[in-house]
Amino acid sequence: MDQCRFVQTVDWQLKEPTMTMTLDRRELLRRTACGFGGLALSGMIADSAAAVNPLAAGIPHVPARARRVIFIFLAGGPSQGDLFAPKAYITRKHGQAIKSPVGDDGQLRVGVARFLPMAPVKPVRPRGQSGMMMSDLLPHLSGVADELCLLRAMVADNKAHAPAALQFHTGHIAEARPSMGAWLSYGLGSENQNMPGFITIHPPRDGRTYGAGFLPAIHQGTPLRVPGRAGEVAITNLQDPDTKPQLQRRRLNFLQRVNRRLLNRVKTDSQMEGIIESFELAFRMQAETPGLIDLSRESKQTQEMYGIGGGASDANGRACLMARRLSEAGVRFVQVTIDGWDHHGDIRKALPGSCAKADQPIAGLVQDLKRRGLLEDTLLMVSGEFGRTYWSQDLSGASPIEKHGREHQQESFCTLLAGGGVRGGLVHGETDDFGYRPVQGQVHLHDLHATILHLLGIDHERLTYPHHGRDYRLTDVYGRVVHDILS
Amino acid sequence: MRICITRLLDSAGVVLTLCALSLTSLAQEKQDASQRGSAARTFFNKKVRPILEQHCYRCHSHQAKKAKGGLVLDSRRGWAKGGQSGPALIPGHPDRSLLISAVRYEDLEMPPKGKLPDKLVRQLERWIADGAHDPRVTKSNVRQSKIDIEVGRQHWAFQPLGRTPPPAVKTTQWPKGDVDRYILARLEKAGLKPIADADRYTWLRRVSFDLAGIPPTVAQVREFTSDRSSRAREKVVDRLLASRAFGERWARHWLDLVGYADQVGTSNSVFARYAWRYRDYVIDAYNKDKPFNEFIREQIAGDLIAADLPDVEQRAASLTATGFLVLGDIEIVESDKAKLLVDIVDQQLNKVGKAFLGLTLECARCHDHKFDPIPQRDYYAMAGFFHGTSTVYKTERGVWSDVNVIELPETKSQQADRARQEQQHTEKLAGWKRERKQSIDRRAKLSERLENKELSKEDRDKLTKERDERSGRMGQLEGLILHAEFFVPTAPRVHGVKDVESPTDMRITIRGNPRALGEKVPRGFLQVASTRRPDIPAKQSGRRQLADWVVGNPLATRIVVNRVWQKLFGEGLVRSVDYFGLPGDRPSHPELLDHLARQLIREGWSQKKLIRSLVLGRTYGLDSGHDDHAHAVDPGNRLRWRMNRSRLDAEALRDAMIMVTGRLKPSSGGPALPLEFPENVGGLDPKDVNPPNFRFAKWRPGQEFERTIYLPVIRHGAQPGPAMLRNVFDFAQPSQLTGKRSVTAVPTQALFLMNSPVVKKHAIALATRLGKEGDEAKRLELLWLTLLNRPLTAVEQREAVEFLREAGENGWAELCHALLASNEFLMRL
Repeated sequence: MDQCRFVQTVDWQLKEPTMTMTLDRRELLRRTACGFGGLALSGMIADSAAAVNPLAAGIPHVPARARRVIFIFLAGGPSQGDLFAPKAYITRKHGQAIKSPVGDDGQLRVGVARFLPMAPVKPVRPRGQSGMMMSDLLPHLSGVADELCLLRAMVADNKAHAPAALQFHTGHIAEARPSMGAWLSYGLGSENQNMPGFITIHPPRDGRTYGAGFLPAIHQGTPLRVPGRAGEVAITNLQDPDTKPQLQRRRLNFLQRVNRRLLNRVKTDSQMEGIIESFELAFRMQAETPGLIDLSRESKQTQEMYGIGGGASDANGRACLMARRLSEAGVRFVQVTIDGWDHHGDIRKALPGSCAKADQPIAGLVQDLKRRGLLEDTLLMVSGEFGRTYWSQDLSGASPIEKHGREHQQESFCTLLAGGGVRGGLVHGETDDFGYRPVQGQVHLHDLHATILHLLGIDHERLTYPHHGRDYRLTDVYGRVVHDILS
Repeated sequence: MRICITRLLDSAGVVLTLCALSLTSLAQEKQDASQRGSAARTFFNKKVRPILEQHCYRCHSHQAKKAKGGLVLDSRRGWAKGGQSGPALIPGHPDRSLLISAVRYEDLEMPPKGKLPDKLVRQLERWIADGAHDPRVTKSNVRQSKIDIEVGRQHWAFQPLGRTPPPAVKTTQWPKGDVDRYILARLEKAGLKPIADADRYTWLRRVSFDLAGIPPTVAQVREFTSDRSSRAREKVVDRLLASRAFGERWARHWLDLVGYADQVGTSNSVFARYAWRYRDYVIDAYNKDKPFNEFIREQIAGDLIAADLPDVEQRAASLTATGFLVLGDIEIVESDKAKLLVDIVDQQLNKVGKAFLGLTLECARCHDHKFDPIPQRDYYAMAGFFHGTSTVYKTERGVWSDVNVIELPETKSQQADRARQEQQHTEKLAGWKRERKQSIDRRAKLSERLENKELSKEDRDKLTKERDERSGRMGQLEGLILHAEFFVPTAPRVHGVKDVESPTDMRITIRGNPRALGEKVPRGFLQVASTRRPDIPAKQSGRRQLADWVVGNPLATRIVVNRVWQKLFGEGLVRSVDYFGLPGDRPSHPELLDHLARQLIREGWSQKKLIRSLVLGRTYGLDSGHDDHAHAVDPGNRLRWRMNRSRLDAEALRDAMIMVTGRLKPSSGGPALPLEFPENVGGLDPKDVNPPNFRFAKWRPGQEFERTIYLPVIRHGAQPGPAMLRNVFDFAQPSQLTGKRSVTAVPTQALFLMNSPVVKKHAIALATRLGKEGDEAKRLELLWLTLLNRPLTAVEQREAVEFLREAGENGWAELCHALLASNEFLMRL
């Protein structure tokens, strides 16, 4: 194992991945030259792969509190006022025009010409020992409130979905920078040499949210679908259903023989070696992944815990259970995207449905991680790219407030954390009476990123990658660790 | 796309160790210094700062109405620079410091209202004696640049093009031309010899991929390898340069630097309806061998140049060229319009810097460049050219903007075509509207008749059925009419820029915030790379002057030839092809680089001539094999003792797969997105909040067999349908402007090659194609010639026969599949 990687190289930027890939690869190839039989495969996975693999696990900068991350991305912008942080003033003024708390900054405000405070669509009450506020729409999450840490003064920089989502994942609103998961895969490697370090389940449409940016492509997120119907595949091209395994084996053996002959002719070529090796990893993935993603191996009780069973929560329940399985198997960063939170109109009708799809899967994940002892060193994060306004939005301009929705709000919103070094039952941050601007405990996205890296043992100022003549970071030139929430 | 720093480290492990050592000791030093520093900081903040604030700031700070005597004391820079009498103090020397003599009332008498108590004077003395530690950060926007432009000019990239005659070589019979002499001289100096020449098969495959992006046909292989004339290679090169495939290949390299996409913005699948015209223009420019300086000028200022062009087609081309500035990663849903505009300027400047100057200008947006001699003011001087340029306009729909649409002048034949199209379109539309009217009337009648309660069941059913059919058809018609009214035939249009009505200079934006404005900076060029100021006509953005300056600059010439070299030799003479700044790579053969730059200028900036002369040289024709000695001395092949091997890029790989199955479909360009199918378009209703958008419900027949450059490029997410191979093989994402794509070897590629239905289909098609040819031996020979462009060896023959026997009925498809996934097919040697 390449244990001293960070010690040796002093600083992250010197850890140039291509350097780790040169020396022993030929040796490895020689050893596995007998072909792709199961024996040769299992033999090489354990140790030798680490010597040549850029995904090999590394040792962190500072003591790590978490070893892996599961990120549940609630795409669209869930309404924090309805779910976690009601405001007395807003509830009191429900439906009465108030003076706009919003400055004249030319920002987007479609259909909010009249500022009508709108009370939460369902009661929000204190839960658990901590008394963390949660909506009646989240009965299952309410049950695990004491495991959660609620950040109530999160801040992002853009009010439109695409740039905001991109910033949440990469720190930047427009450029193709590496995603959080890619940074972690680059920094910490994968704990499972048969699997990528970053897997994203039902990924957002914008590929940059799971891209590797300028980092080596091996760190990009591998998209995975949870098969819902017959014929759907989890990972594109993972299997060839029409070809018998022996046939594929024979073809591969022929191919690798041809490849090795060419390599022998040119003696050294890291690219050719890399391709030969990639076929090997692909072959291992073929064998490893089906078992990993086979949810039928979980007990009925576990499945029920996630809300699997055909109801509204079924699909997300499967996704969250899959996330736990992958995470448990050593995938460094697993993301599950649950969309459907963009409630511009009739939030009263739509929000309960969205909650029903997500509540039990997420709560089930918390419980399951907890009972398996995984919550200790797994950081769970649940967040949208931004939140929603406490006043209503009326797109038609003529409907009664009962039919209104809410507009995007990046000035403040809520994020949930759990596990891996974060204090459970803690509520951090406060906004003004309008639920608009943070007045205390503000956490910018850059700060969140810095904190995540910190929990995984990484100093966010030292995890850098040289690109276009300068060193880049996930947190760019910003970010401070939010020490107040650490356990 | 890894940059130089890491490559330098990569090639020299020693550097790494040294860095590690020096970092450790640096860290120690830092720690000591920081302990000393914190005591000094405390002293300053507790003792010195209050004196300055209470007794001096009123007249000597940025808060003062006017800094008396030009002296400010609210920052280190303030007292170091001093006022009219010179620096206010000299750290370590209180007795030589003006400030001390003034507070001692020796010379000047400060503060004028009364002498400070002695205790305070002594504190100031001690502060200066201890080194005058001053941690204050100035809040002033007017900052003195620390960059020394004159020193910056000494950097190789900013120097004028050198003129070193080709060096003498010992092995005089080896070089075929000057380029070879520069290469050989360096090799000889290092005690190395170039490797043997590549065989004719390898050379032909190499030059075909490099120039045309597709492999040679079997006939072409046979023709060339049996052509023993001395001009055999020239004939091949001339054929390739004259083929349409040449432009299709080289245009794609250019599009990587543009961030070309058929989509605007980064969300909602908004189509860049006319982007394809820019792509076709670039293909055409390469195929017509448009002088590259003219090409560059058009990219920056085509709209301004067009006014002077008499010829309609030239004018249209020139207007199309400014797509360069528009087709990048332009965000169109930013709700803050002021921010949107300064961000667009930044993107354009970034692009110009990268494509033509090899500099990261965008780094100087918020502060002076950290490594390169580019003061922040230079950023705004250059940004001013784009500040006066209009790129987007606000649409009627919600928060959305869209990129500008420019109408092109039409040729006579285009006009005639359009008249015909318009007539057809009008007739078609009128027909549908007529039918709609009839349907409405008929349905109303039917409904009326259905109200008659005495209708028999049979009649009722019949009428109901007809009414439902009418309703269905009406829905269909609505869609067709909406689509047809949106896609009205027009004069050709492009996305491009134009000058704003009254272009002005740009003001510095503090930290890029468009509302925190600093001073105005007159438009001008990078100081380090110029000596003159532009002469901008009134009411113009000045982009034309910028364009002239760019092409007259040695940076641009070097960048251009270095990129051509890189595409042919696998690695640039300067390996950081998009970055020539100080920490960038240095040229391996500086004299050769300048020689090529001069040659380019001498030959009228012809890309074809440059490429032709390079590929006919001996260096290009070297084998890519191994040599123990040379490898030991120069493992990275910087001295070019052999040819570099490279993996095919996504386009070449996909095109080659289609080509070897014999199904490549010639194209003459045109729209990439199949928007003519109503099912592919949404959001056409003008009342919609979001702009019109596309999806891929249906493809044109045969689109899957077109060359990759003609397929739609979308800005984010997976590339669609037949273009999906781009997702796997390191396609340059539009948001990543790059002259050099990264090359990875990841398992998704292997999974694609092993399991994807696409590759399997190609394998079957290839097997079917071969199935029509003679016996097994003949087929095998043909397979190797088609796929690897060389005859198969005896060993390969034996192995293949054995494989076919074992594999059984699908043997041929399996064999083709294996070879399509093989390194030799994936690579150009």
